[in-house]
Amino acid sequence: EKFEGALGKGKGKKFYAYKVMMTKKWMKFQRDFENFKTACIPWEMKIKEIESHFGSSVASYFIFLRWMYGINMILFGLTFGLVMVPEALMGKPYGSLPRKTVPRAEEASAMNFATLWDFSGFAQYSVLFYGYYNNQRTIGWLKFRMPLSYFLVGVGTIGYSFMIVIRTMARNANEDGGGDDTSFNFSWKMFTSWDYLIGNPETADNKFASITTSFKEAIVEEQESRKEENIHLTRFLRVLANFLALCTLAGSGYLIFFVVRRSQKFALEGLENYGWWERNEVNMVMSLLGMFCPTLFDVISSLENYHPRIALRWQLGRIFALFLGNLYTFIIALMDEINLKLEEEKIVKYNMTIWEASLYNGTIPENSTAPPIQVDPADVPRGPCWETMVGQEFVRLTVSDTMTTYITILIGDFLRAVFVRFFNYCWCWDLEYGFPSYSEFDISGNVLGLIFNQGMIWMGSFYAPCLPAINVFRLHTSMYLQCWAVMCCNVPQERVFKASRSNNFYMAMLLFILFLSTLPAVYTIVSIPPSFDCGPFSGKTRMFEVISETLEHDFPSWFGKVFGYASNPGLILPFILLMVLSIYYLNATSKSYKEANLELKKKLQSVRNKELLNFGFTNY
Amino acid sequence: MVPLAVALAFLPLLLTLLLRCRHYLLLLLRAVLLPWLRDRLGGASREQRAFRYLLAHAVPGDPRHILSTFDQWSYRREHLSCVGPDKGKLVERLLRERAPRAVLELGTYCGYGAVLMAAALPPGARLYTVEPDPRHAAVAEKVIRLAGFDEQKVELIVGPSAEVIPRLRERHGLPKADFVFMDHGKRCYLRDLQLLEEHGLLAEGATVLADNVVFPGAPRFLRYAKSCGRYRCRVHRASLEYCRAIPDGVAELCYTGAR
Repeated sequence: EKFEGALGKGKGKKFYAYKVMMTKKWMKFQRDFENFKTACIPWEMKIKEIESHFGSSVASYFIFLRWMYGINMILFGLTFGLVMVPEALMGKPYGSLPRKTVPRAEEASAMNFATLWDFSGFAQYSVLFYGYYNNQRTIGWLKFRMPLSYFLVGVGTIGYSFMIVIRTMARNANEDGGGDDTSFNFSWKMFTSWDYLIGNPETADNKFASITTSFKEAIVEEQESRKEENIHLTRFLRVLANFLALCTLAGSGYLIFFVVRRSQKFALEGLENYGWWERNEVNMVMSLLGMFCPTLFDVISSLENYHPRIALRWQLGRIFALFLGNLYTFIIALMDEINLKLEEEKIVKYNMTIWEASLYNGTIPENSTAPPIQVDPADVPRGPCWETMVGQEFVRLTVSDTMTTYITILIGDFLRAVFVRFFNYCWCWDLEYGFPSYSEFDISGNVLGLIFNQGMIWMGSFYAPCLPAINVFRLHTSMYLQCWAVMCCNVPQERVFKASRSNNFYMAMLLFILFLSTLPAVYTIVSIPPSFDCGPFSGKTRMFEVISETLEHDFPSWFGKVFGYASNPGLILPFILLMVLSIYYLNATSKSYKEANLELKKKLQSVRNKELLNFGFTNY
Repeated sequence: MVPLAVALAFLPLLLTLLLRCRHYLLLLLRAVLLPWLRDRLGGASREQRAFRYLLAHAVPGDPRHILSTFDQWSYRREHLSCVGPDKGKLVERLLRERAPRAVLELGTYCGYGAVLMAAALPPGARLYTVEPDPRHAAVAEKVIRLAGFDEQKVELIVGPSAEVIPRLRERHGLPKADFVFMDHGKRCYLRDLQLLEEHGLLAEGATVLADNVVFPGAPRFLRYAKSCGRYRCRVHRASLEYCRAIPDGVAELCYTGAR
C-alpha cells in the first residue's frame, strides 16, 4: 500500500487526491507568480549586467536610483491624480478668469519656444503651477474640495516621504549587524573580501588586484601603527587641507551670493534688456560649482593621507556642505524676491482700485446695484504671484541641473572615451593606461547629486505641482543614459570596495535633506500670506486656514470642538515633551541591549578560546 | 560675452587639472623644456654633459659607482630616460635568476642599461647592445669602456634595429638570445619583437623585458604579446625612472615558442 502514493489511499481518496493536486497547483502558481514579480521589477537585467562588470558598489547607485524612481512615481501619482487632473477636468477652463489667462502684454511672445523653455507664457498659466488654481471651495459635480486637496497633497507628499525613508533605514539597520571591526582583521579580509556578484574577467582581475593591495595596505598599517610617525607634519597637512577646503567653500558661497545679488538687480531693471547668459547666470553658476568643486576636494584630500574609507567620509561631508551652502544661498535669495513681490502686491492692489474706478467712470458708481462690466480677463492688471515665481525658480533649477548632468556625461565621459580610443594611435604616450584614460564612475558624486535633486523636488512641489512629473521623466531618462554611459565609456574602478556599509549613510543624508527641505516650505506656508489673486488659497490670510474652513463646513460641529481642544498649545507641548522622553528612553534601552550583546560576544569568544586551549593541551 | 561669474566658476576645474597632472607637467619641464634650452644655449648635447659629469665624479672600473653617479646627475640636474635605479633592480634580479649566455639590448642610449646588465652577467656570457643614433653610441661606448667592460663582454652595434637584427647571426655571431631588453622607441617594440621571432633569434624559454610599457606606453606590443599565444606575459608595476610619482611598468615576456 505504501508504494501506491497519494492516489491509492482508500476511502475518500478522490477528495484527498483532489486536495493534493490543488496544493501542487497552488505551489506552482506561487512559484510562477514570484518569477513574474521578479521579472516585473524594472531594469533588473540592466542592473545585474552592470553589477557583474563593475561590482556591487556601482550597482548600488543604480538600485538607489530605481528606489527614488519608485518614490517619485507615487508623488507624481498623488499630485497628478488629486491636484492637476481635477483642476483640468472640473475647474474653470483657460481664459475664464484673470488668473488663468496670459496677460495682454505677454500674449505676443507666449507661444515662443524660448518663453516655454523658461516656463513662462502658456506654461505658466496652466495646471503646472500654483497660480492657475481657483480658490472656489468646491468644483464640478463631484463637489471636489480643490484647496483642501491641494493642501493635503502638499502635506501628504512630505509625510509619505518621511515614512518611506525611515522604514527603509530601519530595514537596512536590521540587515547590517554583525562584523567585528577590531579583531581578526586579516581573517575577515581573507574570507570575506571577494564579491561573488562579479561575472566579468576584467573586473575579477581588478578585484583580485584590489584585494592584494588592501592586504598590503593592512600590513603597512599594522607596521606603521607600531612605529612613531611624524604626527606634527600629518596634523599640519590635515589642517592645511581643511583650510583649503574651507576657502573653496567660502569662495563658492560668495560667488553664488554675488551672482544672486546681480540677478536681483537685473530683475529690478527688467529681464528683457539682458541676454540668455544673464538670465540663467544663477542656475549655471550653481550647476558648474556643484560639478567642479567636488573634484577639487578630491585633489585636496590627497594631502591628508587618511584611510580611504575615512577619506570618503570627509569627501562626502565636504560635498554635502557645498551643496547645502549653495541651496540655502539660493533660498535666501528667493526669500528676498518674495519680500519684494509682497511689497509690489500692495502697490498693485492700490492700482487696481484706481483702475476699477476708471472703468466705472462712464456710469454712476453705485456700490452693489450696478451690473459688473464685462472685461476681457487678459486686460485685468495682475498681482505678482510670488508662489508661481518660487515654483518657476525651482523648475528652472531642476531643468538646468538635469541638462548640466547630461552634458557632463556626454562630454566628460563619452567624448573623453572617443578621444582616448581614437587618438591613441597617433599620440606620444599611451592614453589608455596613463593620463587621461577612461573615466571611472563617481559613485559618491552621483548619489549626492541625486539626493540634492530630490531635496529640491520636495521643496518646490508645493508651488509647482508639475515638479514630480518632471522628476519622474528626468529619472527615467537618467537611468537609461547612465546605464548606457557606464557600460560604454567607463572602466571598473581600481579600488573596488563594498558599498553595503554606506547604505544607511546615504539614507541618513536623505533623511536630513528631507528635513531641511521641508523647513522653507513649512515656513512659507505658515508665515507668509498667500497672494490675493492667484492660487487656491487666495483671499485667506494664511494658507492653513483651509483646514479650519473645512472643519467648519464639512464636519459635524462636535468634531470641530474636539479638534480645537486637541490643537491647543497647552495640550501639544506636554505631548511633545512625552515624545522626547520616550525617544530618550528607547535610546537608553537600545544602548543597554548593544552592551549586553557585546558582553555575550566576549563571553562566547573566551569560551571558544578556552575550548581551543583545552583541545590543544589534551592533544599534546 | 560670457559673464565673469560663469568664467570664475570654471576656476575649480582649472585648479583640479593643474594639481592632478602636476607630476606630468614637472616631468615635461625637467625632461623636455629645460634640456632643450640648455642644448641651444651651450654647445654639448645632454648626453655629453652627463658624460662630462661622469668623468669628473665617477670611479673608473666600478660599475656600481658609475650607475650611482648617473643617478645623482639625473635626480639633481637633468632627467635622462634610462632604466633608472628602481626598475634597474628588477632587471638585475631577473638577469641573475635566468643567468643567460647571450643578452641582447635594443636601445643603448647612454649605456646605463648596458653597464647594469653587464655587471650582473655570469662569467662567459656576452651582451650585444644596439643603438641607432651614432652620437649616443659614441657616448655609450665611452661609458661602457669607463666601467671596465671589454669587447668580450659587451659589443656595441651602431645602426637602426630593423636593419641590425636580420644581420645579427651572420655578422655578429649571435645564434640565439636568451634574454632581450627593449628600451628604444616605443613604437618599434612590436616590429622588433616580430623581427626577432621571424629570424629565430629567440631561444626556447627566452625572457624579453620591455621597459616603459605604461608610460609612455606600448599598447599594441602588449596586446600582441598577450594574445598571440607564444608568450607568458607579466607586467611589473614600478614608477617612472627618477620620478616616484608617475606609475610605470616593465613587461616580462617568457617565450614559450608555440608553433
